[in-house]
Amino acid sequence: MMEVVLTELGVAVREGGEGGRTARVFPFSRSDPASEYVEARAGRVPEPLSGLAGYLAGLDSGALVSDEPLLLALKKGGADDCRLMDAEARERIQSSKPDVLVESGLAADRDEALERLRDFAMQLSSSKVAAASGSPDMHVIQAIGSLDEIDRMSNAAGSRLREWYGLHFPELDNIADGAAGYARIVLAGRRDGLSEEAFRGAGFDDAKVQMLSVACGHSRGGEISDGDLAAVQGMARQVLGMHDLRRELEARVEDQMRAVAPNLSAILGASVGARILARAGSLKRLASMPSSTIQVIGAEKALFRALKTGSRPPKHGLLFQHPLVHAAPRWQRGKVARAVAAKAAIAARVDVYSEGSINSTLLERLNVRVGEIGKKYSEPPPPGEPEPRERGRGGAADDRPRGRGGAADDRPRGRGGAADDRPRGRGGAGPPGRRSRPADDRGRGGAGPPGRRSRPADDRGRGGAGPPGRRSRPADDRGRGGAGPPGRRSRPADDRGRGGAGPPGRRSRPADDRGRGGAGPPGRRSRPADDRGRGGAGPPGRRGGGGAKGRAGGGSRGRGKGGGRKRGGRSGGPP
Amino acid sequence: MRWEGHDRLATANLAPGHRAYKEKTLVAGGTEYRVWDPFRSKLAAALLNGLDELPLEGRSSVLYLGASTGTTVSHVSDIVGGGGVVFAVEHASRVARDLLDRVASRRRNVVPVIQDARNPSAYFSVYGKVDVVYADIAQPDQTEIAMSNCRAYLRGGGTLLLVIKTRSIDVVRRPDKVIEGELAKMRGGFEVAQLVGLEPYDRDHAMAAVLYRAA
Repeated sequence: MMEVVLTELGVAVREGGEGGRTARVFPFSRSDPASEYVEARAGRVPEPLSGLAGYLAGLDSGALVSDEPLLLALKKGGADDCRLMDAEARERIQSSKPDVLVESGLAADRDEALERLRDFAMQLSSSKVAAASGSPDMHVIQAIGSLDEIDRMSNAAGSRLREWYGLHFPELDNIADGAAGYARIVLAGRRDGLSEEAFRGAGFDDAKVQMLSVACGHSRGGEISDGDLAAVQGMARQVLGMHDLRRELEARVEDQMRAVAPNLSAILGASVGARILARAGSLKRLASMPSSTIQVIGAEKALFRALKTGSRPPKHGLLFQHPLVHAAPRWQRGKVARAVAAKAAIAARVDVYSEGSINSTLLERLNVRVGEIGKKYSEPPPPGEPEPRERGRGGAADDRPRGRGGAADDRPRGRGGAADDRPRGRGGAGPPGRRSRPADDRGRGGAGPPGRRSRPADDRGRGGAGPPGRRSRPADDRGRGGAGPPGRRSRPADDRGRGGAGPPGRRSRPADDRGRGGAGPPGRRSRPADDRGRGGAGPPGRRGGGGAKGRAGGGSRGRGKGGGRKRGGRSGGPP
Repeated sequence: MRWEGHDRLATANLAPGHRAYKEKTLVAGGTEYRVWDPFRSKLAAALLNGLDELPLEGRSSVLYLGASTGTTVSHVSDIVGGGGVVFAVEHASRVARDLLDRVASRRRNVVPVIQDARNPSAYFSVYGKVDVVYADIAQPDQTEIAMSNCRAYLRGGGTLLLVIKTRSIDVVRRPDKVIEGELAKMRGGFEVAQLVGLEPYDRDHAMAAVLYRAA
């Protein structure tokens, strides 16, 4: 009986037993043994082994083969009288591998055998590492990471730019609300040299151009020297550059997600999909995750707290950013998140294992299911149910990613936002606010005094204050404040909102987008000023969709209701 | 291996002039030593916390599971010297890149094996039986993985050094209970010789020195 031994350096055919004579050797190439070895172990026949099956078929006796895939390949090649070596024999070969190499002439002596085994290991390991770094999903992950990074940087630089140029032309701050538009005006020069063309060139509409022209006529700003102006403009160029880069990155992520994971991005959307992908580590790993894991990715902190304390687990992690989840009424969100996660899990698997095909039924089924949830649970559960149950320190969604960032609490983000140890927020703070987290970024937001976890701002806080807000979190992004007094979880001004307060609203969320405030007093879910609304209050309606044009909702425009701050809040919400 | 300065651990550098992770080096008697940081390396932490016997010596062969970027691997490589060998098994390609760049390519006695430790029969380039299996893997079934590797590659009378990462095994149970549970799994030829906690260098970690008699 002959033995066919697959080694890293080639295949040796030897007589059986200890110290058997070597009959024939099929060495792998010297330059690239690793890929040939991998091929052999994958059940294909690399070029150097092409004569092996024929040779074995010509033997009188059968052969024992040390490797199963190789055995199968040989059988296919016509060497019928082969069997797999038993474990004991394989172990014997394994433990005397350098000797086997020397005896079969694959290496001259023991030292060379060891040397070449190590070289082999280096080569194979390097190629594995290179292959892993070359996969396109890694690039998507890096791109979405960069996107978040750029957001953080450009927000910081943009607000600094406003501060600086604001010394010279403070009025611009209120009128130009986009970072890019602001930067373009800074580039145009001093306020007295600004023409209407410059404003138009910066992308403002006629109404704004009017306001700007008037404003630069009688500004309350000071003079600025040439040197300082040049420095501010250098900064403005960076902000603009980052703005463009961000756009490119966004398009790139969108593109690549469609190419790498078409089904996943159909279900989740490119950016949410990419963030989830980044959290999972790779598309393959995402595909092997259960949907329940996908559902809470990004809410690990809340999840582990729930596991430890036995309280209720989070409903959603990063998935909160998904439009379907985000738009669903609060009591449906868990169900919707579960449905989305389920389809996302399937979609990731389709993307990995049946490349290129798009399974449109996934999205259809998801929409059907979400519609079903919407119908079946159209009414909120009766109050008094354990539904918004108290737990640890304020609820599952604690580290649910928010705003643009899309990461959990443990990643510092934004200005006054996540990072506990970065007391840079401008937001005001309410004395004993429970968990007031004002002003993620440039927010001039307020906070909630009698809450429990207040995070005081530094000396620049502009925030207003919202008295008994349990968790007031105003002004995610450029929001100017506002707070939610007894609102349980008021989150005014998601984006650019200028405030607003939702007094006893359970969950007042004024000013989704550019809203300037608004409040929904006893509304259960007041969400005023969805779009450009300027405030207003939604009286006791259930869903007080606020009115418009009120600059600050809820309470007053009182300055500095909250903590010690230089600039006082623009809006506060004393009850 | 020497004690230097403020009672710090250091190993004689096998690859003089090269550092694996920006560690401090010092020269004594013409030999370059690399300081071994117990906060970075759990093996150093275990030694400082009273691990009785370091089963490693010159010419030892070691199967190292969970090599990561090769911090500890580099010191183990120093200890076993040119006559020994370290098979460094690591599955994650990102850290394996650093392992290859910083450690494996500079040290002739390190053989990198980029493979999943769950499947010891798929290792390439590993030969013979080793004297020591060192396992530092962050998986819930880490103990089982380590034991299956021992059965495949550890010689009778060899030692398993097992880092028990309680947080990777079960975040909810108390660490000491987890350790107890893992040690109870050591049956069939495994005999726990010593257990060392790694406080204050690593929280919720312990190192177990386990004797292996081939089953």
